[in-house]
Amino acid sequence: MSEMWINMGPQHPMTHGLWNLRVKIDGEMVLDVDPEMGYLHRGIEKISEDRHYNEVITLMDRCCYVAGFAWEHLYILAAEQALHIRPPERAEYLRVMSDEFQRIGSHLMWYAAFVQDLGLMSPFLYGMRDRDLVLDLFQAYTGARLTYEYMRVGGVRNDVPPGFTDRARKVLDWLDDRYREYDALCMGSTIFRERCDDLGILKANDCVAHGVTGPMLRAAGVRRDLRKDRPYAVYKQIDFDVAQADAADVTARYLVRMEEMRQSNRILRQVLDWLDHHPGPMMADNLPRWLGAPYAPIGNEGYLLKRSYPKGTGFSAVEEPHGEACAYVVNEGALHPYRVKFRSPVFSNISAARQYLVGYHVADIPPIMGSVDVCVGEVDR
Amino acid sequence: MTEAKTSDGENAADNPILYVARPMATAARQFAKSLRRPSTIVYPYERLEDPRFRDQVAVEPGRPIGVGQVWDNYRGVHALNIATCISCNLCAFSCPDICIEMVTVPGDDPKHPKKCPQIDYGKCSYCGFCSDACPEGCLTMTTRYELSTPHRAEMVYSPQKLNEVFRSKLPMNPIRLELPENEDRILLDPPLCIGCNACARDCPTQCITMLDVPRPDAKPGEKLPKRIWKEPVVNDSDCVRCGTCISVCPKECLFWGSRP
Repeated sequence: MSEMWINMGPQHPMTHGLWNLRVKIDGEMVLDVDPEMGYLHRGIEKISEDRHYNEVITLMDRCCYVAGFAWEHLYILAAEQALHIRPPERAEYLRVMSDEFQRIGSHLMWYAAFVQDLGLMSPFLYGMRDRDLVLDLFQAYTGARLTYEYMRVGGVRNDVPPGFTDRARKVLDWLDDRYREYDALCMGSTIFRERCDDLGILKANDCVAHGVTGPMLRAAGVRRDLRKDRPYAVYKQIDFDVAQADAADVTARYLVRMEEMRQSNRILRQVLDWLDHHPGPMMADNLPRWLGAPYAPIGNEGYLLKRSYPKGTGFSAVEEPHGEACAYVVNEGALHPYRVKFRSPVFSNISAARQYLVGYHVADIPPIMGSVDVCVGEVDR
Repeated sequence: MTEAKTSDGENAADNPILYVARPMATAARQFAKSLRRPSTIVYPYERLEDPRFRDQVAVEPGRPIGVGQVWDNYRGVHALNIATCISCNLCAFSCPDICIEMVTVPGDDPKHPKKCPQIDYGKCSYCGFCSDACPEGCLTMTTRYELSTPHRAEMVYSPQKLNEVFRSKLPMNPIRLELPENEDRILLDPPLCIGCNACARDCPTQCITMLDVPRPDAKPGEKLPKRIWKEPVVNDSDCVRCGTCISVCPKECLFWGSRP
């Protein structure tokens, strides 16, 4: 047989977004792969240098369109460190609550897309249906379903509405039942197991060598979770376990994500209980004038000249649903960040595609890439 | 550390009957549920923001999905109350996408025309910064979300069109941000002021008054600066902190600061 290159993408059911996977095949066997990114590049890092600190938040929601809260939290943590601001505790709990609901929402979205890659249509509908409940919760307190713009430098925009925590607990109870149902549908099915077992193996040392993080790393038997290893916000005070599996294949990644959703439920129950009993302010009270309000009106340039504001840099790392995301913000004392840099976990995860795709069949590519959980919005930024 | 495994704990792959029967049983259960009432609604004819769904939506099988009262602070198309707008420009300044332009609306006083926001929904990202910034609460966001139009020019909503949205009495976003206690104020650098009255003239809330300052006696040989002997005094409780006075000041003698 002769070898040939084929393009899977930029428009292909496998890609889940706008990127191209070039595959070199010989018959059915994959000999080489070449991931091509950049179709969705919007220059978010450069645009950020032209916006006030709070206005960058609107870009963060569009960085990853299924995990907007994780990216908001990432940027806010770095910006607060650069500006020497400490948010009130209740705002931190609200951020953690948003983060964990976002993790559930993102993993449900992944579940729906992944099983659809395998050709299972009914679980896809169940996953999307249950994700809608999480989006409804977001809409109840932020006012939007996908682009939240909820966190602010120094706190969060508003408190949750009355009765919210009870409704959220109802959703968690409902989701607990659904996880059991997903397992019965997928892990209980021979077809699913035979399709996914021993597929797309990426061992722990390869993960570390290529910077692969998140559920893929944990599925390879490495216990690494930034919420435990480098606790941010209030994760230190919350009791939860790190999901882990050893097989390093597609099934292991499925199991890790399912376990993470159960752990998110556990975290959320503790956070909702805390929120019920600890009212408090939403914003830090020592904010400078041009950050205290959500706007930065004119005259501020002169204001900053008249009283110099401390400079600084901020670095933050957050366990995003897809992996470890990092942000670096440089504050040179102006109204805008001097430089913003993001590290996207999915970029590293799909850059290592050659390691876990070569040697399998062409028909194995959709399930393997599905188990990576690609979100092109944050790959290209 | 927990080992990720299936939630029931047993290994279904050992029992061939189980792993054919169990997925089928789950699918059959779901099918039976969907016969009672679908999880979706018939969108153009039914709408989730409809008040009759407000108490019906629930996290239960056989009901339309939703958690109830999710539309209370939805961020959709803006509603503008032209009558209470003070033309302070804060919405336009706070907009990250620069989609708000202040345009003149016909008013009572032809000499001092009123300026109100005109919003280009082709650019708007619905972040809500403008309604958060509005000090009078006249620019809010409603539950309207249907904006499709065949012409791009129709995406630009004039103040009059936004006022029609306001008159349609849609539910409005109730969230109002509170200004912090130690809010900074407009301060004056007196030696620079020439008493030109520009700040008091352009202040949208009329909170600046020009008060007389005593004219010092000129010493022999000294030349007094050429100026009007008046100075602005800001009424902090009426001030909305829009910064208009700072931007119009020709001598840059007004600035932000905290008063002791």
